[in-house]
Amino acid sequence: MNWITLSLENAWRDLRDRDGRISIATQTALLFFLLTLTFTSASIQRYLADNLEQMLGSDLVVERHGPLRRDHDLALRSLAPRVSVTQWNDLTLTHGGQWARVRLKRVDDAYPLQGTLQIGDTPVATHRASRRGPQIGEIWLEPRLATALKIRVGEMLAIDRTTLRVSAILFHEPDRLMEGHSTVLRAMVHNRSLDGDAVTSGTEITRYLIAANESQQQRVEEWVGEMLPDATVIRKSGGQHPLAGFWRRTENFLGLAAVMLFFMGAVALDMTNRRWLALMRYRHAIYASFGTPMRIGMLMALGEWLVGFVMSIGLAMLLATLAFHVIIGQLREYFPGLQAMWHFIPAARTTGLVFLLLLALQVPSFVQLSRTSLLSLIRNPAHSRDAWGRLLWSLSSVTLLAAAYSDNWLLTGMTLAAIAAALLLMLVLTWCIIQLGERWGRRRTGLLPFAFFLMRQRLFAKSAQVLGLGLCGLLLLFTLMLMRDLGGTMERHARTHDGNLLIAEAQADQLAGIQQWAGTTGSSVRTLRPFVSAQLVAVNGTPLGAYVQKPSDTFTALSEPIRLSWTDTLPTNNRIVGGQWWPAATDNWQQLSAEPEVMTDIGLRHGDQLTFQIGGNAYQFTLVASHAHTPGGGSITFWFQVPLSARAHIEAPTRYMGSMELPVGAWDSLAGLWQQYPSLSLVPLKELTERFDQTLGIVTKVTSGYAAMVLLLALFVLAASISGFSADDRRKNGLLMSMGLRDRELLWLNINEWSITALIAAAGAVMGTWIAGGLLYRDQFGLPYNPDVLWVVSIVVAMVSVVCLVGYWACRQSLKVSVRDLLTT
Amino acid sequence: MQNTIELQSISHDFETAGQRISLFCALSCTIRAGESLAIVGPSGAGKSSLLSIAAGLEAPTGGTVRFTLDGKSVDALTMRANSGFIFQQFHLLPELDAIGNVALPLRLKGKRDAFDLAASWLDKVGLADRARHRPHQLSGGEQQRIAVARAFITAPRFIFADEPTGNLDMHTSESVADLMFGCARETGCGLVMVTHSRPLAMRADTSLLLAAGRLAAAA
Repeated sequence: MNWITLSLENAWRDLRDRDGRISIATQTALLFFLLTLTFTSASIQRYLADNLEQMLGSDLVVERHGPLRRDHDLALRSLAPRVSVTQWNDLTLTHGGQWARVRLKRVDDAYPLQGTLQIGDTPVATHRASRRGPQIGEIWLEPRLATALKIRVGEMLAIDRTTLRVSAILFHEPDRLMEGHSTVLRAMVHNRSLDGDAVTSGTEITRYLIAANESQQQRVEEWVGEMLPDATVIRKSGGQHPLAGFWRRTENFLGLAAVMLFFMGAVALDMTNRRWLALMRYRHAIYASFGTPMRIGMLMALGEWLVGFVMSIGLAMLLATLAFHVIIGQLREYFPGLQAMWHFIPAARTTGLVFLLLLALQVPSFVQLSRTSLLSLIRNPAHSRDAWGRLLWSLSSVTLLAAAYSDNWLLTGMTLAAIAAALLLMLVLTWCIIQLGERWGRRRTGLLPFAFFLMRQRLFAKSAQVLGLGLCGLLLLFTLMLMRDLGGTMERHARTHDGNLLIAEAQADQLAGIQQWAGTTGSSVRTLRPFVSAQLVAVNGTPLGAYVQKPSDTFTALSEPIRLSWTDTLPTNNRIVGGQWWPAATDNWQQLSAEPEVMTDIGLRHGDQLTFQIGGNAYQFTLVASHAHTPGGGSITFWFQVPLSARAHIEAPTRYMGSMELPVGAWDSLAGLWQQYPSLSLVPLKELTERFDQTLGIVTKVTSGYAAMVLLLALFVLAASISGFSADDRRKNGLLMSMGLRDRELLWLNINEWSITALIAAAGAVMGTWIAGGLLYRDQFGLPYNPDVLWVVSIVVAMVSVVCLVGYWACRQSLKVSVRDLLTT
Repeated sequence: MQNTIELQSISHDFETAGQRISLFCALSCTIRAGESLAIVGPSGAGKSSLLSIAAGLEAPTGGTVRFTLDGKSVDALTMRANSGFIFQQFHLLPELDAIGNVALPLRLKGKRDAFDLAASWLDKVGLADRARHRPHQLSGGEQQRIAVARAFITAPRFIFADEPTGNLDMHTSESVADLMFGCARETGCGLVMVTHSRPLAMRADTSLLLAAGRLAAAA
């Protein structure tokens, strides 16, 4: 069928045109982003599923912070035939002056329940399988730990008052699920090798590995849900990897980012569609003059569009594959062993979704094309722009994408509201400034009044340009501002520690030893605050998981025990920001104060009843006040605080958190302190800073990548907006030159036009950023919103300058038309 | 076989800026294949609208239009499928060369020998050596000759020409007119044209004057 060949020829020819290239590039960029996200996500989901399958080391795991009571332990064992108990503690091991922070695993005789351990005699030896763990009096170290401590198999290692023989190097454990994402050094001992008190800490985790059939697993799960509100159950089949929630949130956040990029892409495509539609109308009117039915014409137009889309898929797939492999390499730090694999079905789903979205954007143009008449070649009918129809379809497409990707409708809604407000402002500003400017210039001479006159004649086109550029400016400005503020907050947080050594956790019986050590080494203890490990399990009687409506970092942190402190007087580094602080020595000990960010994140209000699990018992407190950290009085502060009188009612060991300042010479003596107290958790500030820098580095990489995508699409929008009107500009410039205007005057005229356009767009971008910041910063990112006006102004000046420069360059190109060319048009 | 277009008491008006403008009222006319008809008249008389109605591009606001092909009554769509057009602005596709433009109607109808026929028509209009040239590389007269070839290549029953020499000088107009009338005679199709040019109008078999809403034989 010859018309199919003709359609392919048309498509190939149109794609080589400037508008065609912009259109392809925009579609490719959108597809690239979403396909990269899809491939990465599918690989991680597959990894998590495999991980769960292979690394649980049992059919079911019940995990909590602390061992079960005897009656609970017996009840659990009655429900499942085979149970193995493992316990984890973080402590510091020392050997010959070397020290290392370690996750120590204590196992029983039943371990491993499923699978085998892989051990060897040296860090580089051949592995051999073992169906049992270390015996009493033995310790197994992972290869990096053995290297760090400079210790070999056969040598002795002291932990507190116990000396253990290093009997093997540990390479693999069948229940490494939770540690799959951790790079902390590992060691393993028999649970009867050590005195429990020597190694207990607030971060102890107890895991009950269970081998059971499906019905037994079901019974265990029901029993845990009823009797152990602070325990987590992970099942091999139908269960969810502990990291699944974290990854899903990341994915949904990036999905929202995709919505924003799609918005920008839609603007660029709409601008190129303008000329595409004019070209197609002309072409189809001529086809109609040969008697070609409209049906064939529409099929040809659809076919040409599909060719462009298929090309975009090809390019995007290639680029996404490259990007995806790079990202997987970076993510292996969090998901060791993660493999880059092809996932055709998810990719096909994403491609299908983008196809529908881009087709939806194209529908208004197809509808207008279907109304093409041969009459347009005989006389010039007014073509309706159908601006509202186009806007409605664009909004529907964006809403469809948001529905597919966003899990946080509040964040999505706020973001779209900020954008809508900015767009409305830009529309109003454009109309007002151009109308008023034209009226002002009516009885005046000069280039500026003439510029307003010309802009007034092309008000619709100018509005479209302003909206497109303004939207890009808004997204770019907001992304850059967020990146800057996020980094700044993290840096401020990292740098406000007083002292260069954080006491993350010390037990009561270790304090005297710490003070003595400080005295002998010339160190000083700056702060020490007491706390107990407490896990928030319910709010107003509703389990926490059911109470919290949206995922957040706070909710993730509260899934683990946090530090609950007590005080009668408000600490010097806190201030009251809401509610009423309790009087000193109050009898009403069941009161609580919380940080406002925590309250906002999980939706708490003064008067709420919070239930904490502490030391195996439940305690209820009423939220009566909120306190915020103020700099200058020390960096140790707590999310939750209770009255001093509460301590007497809580049965749990007291631990301490604080900070110390060490002189240079004291660092080498730290090994001695850990030798004495292996469970003492000390973190040098340098290490804290490095951790923050690492996290900051990841955040910077992600936001930089997103900013780069925003910038790329902004360039497409700019190119489309120039290209979309280039023919009109050339004609206009040629006419003006035929009336005697010189090149230099024309350049100034165009610079005036572009400056006005860019300034209106910038005003909209700034306003939209201000609204978005006010709505999103505190509620979604937990950041205070204090815009740096000077920084914002400098970025805006840079953006306006770029737009004017590009507009100036475009004008110089269009001035190459001569009046003679105009005569032959 | 009878191929005719009958306009029976047609009227046409349109609305603009809230005003209703009546172009003509109760016009009747029969156009036959094998004959040439020129419609002349002052600017704004409605000549192009009358041409559009006769071509089946738009319906009159009053009266009826009957299309008959091979003795059978057909609808406007079928009529258009058997018609060709020649425009004042030529309207060649700028992205196609001369032979591509001429072959286009046949390619759309699925003819495999489209380019061969196009080559022979280019030769007929004297532009065989310009086959690979794009419209912007051709003069106005050459473009219109290509447009004529494109209109006739599908052997239409009727050709509708709207000011076909309006953008051409006198000498070029004559040669284009020779081509048009020659091809019409050769193919036996009906030629209906709107023109301001008196010499062109005089070459038609019938010349009608549309003025003040009425149609009468032109002097």
